[in-house]
Amino acid sequence: MPTIMTPKKSPNRAELLQGTLAMLILRTLLFGPAHGHQIAKHIQRTTDDVLQVEHGSLYPALHRMERKGWLAAKWEMAKDRNREFKYYRLTPAGKKQLVREESRWKQLATAVATVMRPAPGE
Amino acid sequence: MSLRNWLRSRLPRVWRRCNRESDVQRELEAHLELEAEEQRDSGVPVEEAPYGARRAFGNATIVQEDLREIWSAVWLERFARDMKYAARSLRKSPGFTLVAILTLALGIGANTAIFSAINALMLRPLPFTAADQLVRINSTENGVPITGFAYPGGPSLLDMRDFAQQSHSFEQMVLYDTWRKNVSFGDSLAEPEQMQVGLVPAAYFKALDIRPIMGRLFSEEERQEGKDHVAAISARLWKNRFSGDSAVLGRKIVINEESYTIVAVMPDVIPDWMEPGHVGPIEVWTPFPAAEVLPESSRGARGFGTLARIKPGVRLEQAQAELATIAAALAAAHPADTGVGVTLSRVSDARVGPLRPMLFLLMGAVGLILLIACVNLANLLLARNSARQRELGVRTALGAGRSGLIRQLLAETLLLSLIGGAVGVGLAWLGLASLARIHPEELPQLGSVGIDWRVLTFTLSVSLLTSLLFGLAPAFMGTRVNLVDALKQGGRSGTAGPGSQRLRNVLVATEMALSLMLLVGAGLLVRSILRLQGQSLGIRQDHLLRGQIYLPPVRYSDPGMITRFCDDFSARVRALPGVRDAAITTIYPPYNGWTQMLDIPGRPVDRIEDVPSAQFGVADYHFVKTLGIPLIRGRDFSESDGVNTPPVALISAEFQKRFFPAQDPIGRKLHVGPPQFLHIGPGEGVTDSADVTVIGVIGDFKNVGLALAPEPQITVLYSQHPLVNYGFKDILIRTASDPRVLLPEVRDQLHQLDADIPFSAVRTMDELVERQTGGQRFTTVLLILFAAAGLALAIVGIYGVISFLVAQRQQELAVRMALGASHANVLWLVLKQGLNMAIIGAALGLCGAFAAQKFTSGLLFGISPVDPLTFAGAPIFLLAVAAIACAIPGSRVLRIDPAQALRQD
Repeated sequence: MPTIMTPKKSPNRAELLQGTLAMLILRTLLFGPAHGHQIAKHIQRTTDDVLQVEHGSLYPALHRMERKGWLAAKWEMAKDRNREFKYYRLTPAGKKQLVREESRWKQLATAVATVMRPAPGE
Repeated sequence: MSLRNWLRSRLPRVWRRCNRESDVQRELEAHLELEAEEQRDSGVPVEEAPYGARRAFGNATIVQEDLREIWSAVWLERFARDMKYAARSLRKSPGFTLVAILTLALGIGANTAIFSAINALMLRPLPFTAADQLVRINSTENGVPITGFAYPGGPSLLDMRDFAQQSHSFEQMVLYDTWRKNVSFGDSLAEPEQMQVGLVPAAYFKALDIRPIMGRLFSEEERQEGKDHVAAISARLWKNRFSGDSAVLGRKIVINEESYTIVAVMPDVIPDWMEPGHVGPIEVWTPFPAAEVLPESSRGARGFGTLARIKPGVRLEQAQAELATIAAALAAAHPADTGVGVTLSRVSDARVGPLRPMLFLLMGAVGLILLIACVNLANLLLARNSARQRELGVRTALGAGRSGLIRQLLAETLLLSLIGGAVGVGLAWLGLASLARIHPEELPQLGSVGIDWRVLTFTLSVSLLTSLLFGLAPAFMGTRVNLVDALKQGGRSGTAGPGSQRLRNVLVATEMALSLMLLVGAGLLVRSILRLQGQSLGIRQDHLLRGQIYLPPVRYSDPGMITRFCDDFSARVRALPGVRDAAITTIYPPYNGWTQMLDIPGRPVDRIEDVPSAQFGVADYHFVKTLGIPLIRGRDFSESDGVNTPPVALISAEFQKRFFPAQDPIGRKLHVGPPQFLHIGPGEGVTDSADVTVIGVIGDFKNVGLALAPEPQITVLYSQHPLVNYGFKDILIRTASDPRVLLPEVRDQLHQLDADIPFSAVRTMDELVERQTGGQRFTTVLLILFAAAGLALAIVGIYGVISFLVAQRQQELAVRMALGASHANVLWLVLKQGLNMAIIGAALGLCGAFAAQKFTSGLLFGISPVDPLTFAGAPIFLLAVAAIACAIPGSRVLRIDPAQALRQD
């Protein structure tokens, strides 16, 4: 997963570009329904802790996406413990959104990569 | 929507919202628990784990707030929050808030009240189909409108017949009449009342396009004598007197002691004010008699009420031109029509009649108030915001966005306008209620005026616009560039930007100018009305009571009976304790309203327009004494002048001057009535043809209204003139104490003589005079109120500017004082600034008042529209008040302790 480095602050931490979080969440939920904590952990784990989401910032994003209709949410009992969690899943609109965001991201990444290509003299 | 449905649609949203809160709470808690658990599992000490979880989570409060914002109607909550802040900020400066709200309320309230009234009086359409086509046809004599029961009065029956036959512009042309008659209802033995009865043909209702609620219009046949005892009554009367009885048709009412059968109930659509002459509502109509043959001699009998409907598509001017041509031909053909012309006026134009110019004046005045209020508001907001420059600067420095600042200022302005508007509506309501209470009798429709919502919307938006413009100005000017400046300036609480200060000076000068215009207007009207009321009527005005009686011809067919009744009645009244004297007459100031042609030997005339005429009336021999009119020469009427002695007359000083300039009039004979060459015999449209001998000259008294000089007056004894001894009489009673107290006893005496005669229109002479000036007083009172309000606003403006100035310049003044300036020097420095504004404003205001003189000129009596006293007095008064308003805050500089002031900040 591509990351943006902010080297001065902490070399192994990345701050998310605005809008990227939504894409990451959509992508995460492609594997199936998950609750907030699972999503946060998944993003952290799959990026080897480089991309650390401040857990709190996840929820406004989730709710905004729920409001927009990309996600559907439901309180369900967790399989491994006796506790209810709010599980989010992708809606068809969410799936379409994911496609849109991925292609936009690829465009951006290519563009940035072109700029950052090592100069001939370097 | 039923309440249940409404609740069903509303409740879930609220409920869901509460649910959402707990939902978020639960979700976040679950997250934190899970995280703490994981941290524990990965070796964090048990007591540390929850904190670790929170750290990983970030600021939970902000997250919760964010979530709430995502789900709530964000702007609404934010709006409420802004309003809360705004209220807090306004509460912190109660002086500013109070004055601003009052200013707004005054501007909005006064304007809404006055414009609502004027709208209702002048602009609301008449409730008839195509009311624009309804006109009145009025006759003029030598260019002057003639007087009939209506003022101005219409043409004679014959002229009207010729108009109808020869013109092509009209659909309908109606002549009618109204009379005060004694009316009683049903079989009740109650005292009959005097009511205005309309004598109308069916075409009257057709022209107005009114159909009976029940029954039928009068038929042509019912216009003939003997068949005309049918009546139509108003729906109001039907409800009040017949309890809405569905079988009212065919029942009887008694008019002047003759029985009439009710054939129709008419809807209440004719406005009270529509009848010319302000005779009040007409609720009973009987057929207008149609004479079989109209004698040519009746051509001169003018003064009827008229109603005509112009054909669609024909303009008023066209119809007018056509009638004028016909009238000119009639004038050439008939001697009685010599000099007689015709004018048309729309019925709808008559609604405010002579008060129209006053209402326009009031409209202008109240418009000035709105202007002053807006200027004042602008001034207040400018002052407040330039004083807040520092606060706004600090806010910006602390990171408040421009939009946030604008939002805050907007909220304050809106809140201010809303409260001001609400108070203004209250004021408007109060204003209309009190207008209804003091309304003059000429404007009966004023009693039922409600707030006009379009007017309210207009005034609200004008003031809102002003407050937005000046309330938001600092957000646009202040936040962009002045951040550093504001902090620097504010740090030493220096002067405000020179630009805004200059603007405020201009605004205050404007206010001064506008309020001076109001002051001048009010001053002029006050002086005029004082003159009008202060002039002598020519009689002793105090302790004089007047009442009307009417002796119906059915029972008082013989003039001798009328004389006997009148003499009995006045003798009984004179015998009452507390009565000094009493007279029965048709004459009393300030209006006489009865003109007679004269034939004076030695003054031959051969053209009708040269025939002399005078104010005429009948009286008994107590008349001169009762009224307190001075006898200038000759003798008064006496008891010995009776039926069998030669007829005598008293003439007024003006009469002598006009008709006997060089001779002694005593003993001269003259003929009251048209001269011989007109060949009009007695009884044919002429009321009297008697020779009288002048026995005395009495002082002039007002007989053609308060505003005009007395016209020649001739008075005769009714006992000596049976032809003019009608049943209409007035009794004038001179009392020793309050004349009102005697009223029941006088009425009692009348009813002992005849229980069926109503005693009506009872007024003291003071009241009669007041009625005459009612319209002027109404305007004057309002204009004084407006001037006071305008002055108050202007004073608030100048006071505010000076106190602001003193506060802002405190340090500078302290430095001056430290350097040796005396208190007086410093005080003058401040006062000078205020007085400059006032003087400039006053000068501008004088110019404005001078330019506006055409609005007042028509309303003034006895003084010039540029009355020097008013034009000098008003600015002096304004400057004096302004000086005081400056001196109060200005005197604060005297309390400045230089040492302390310099140490501040």
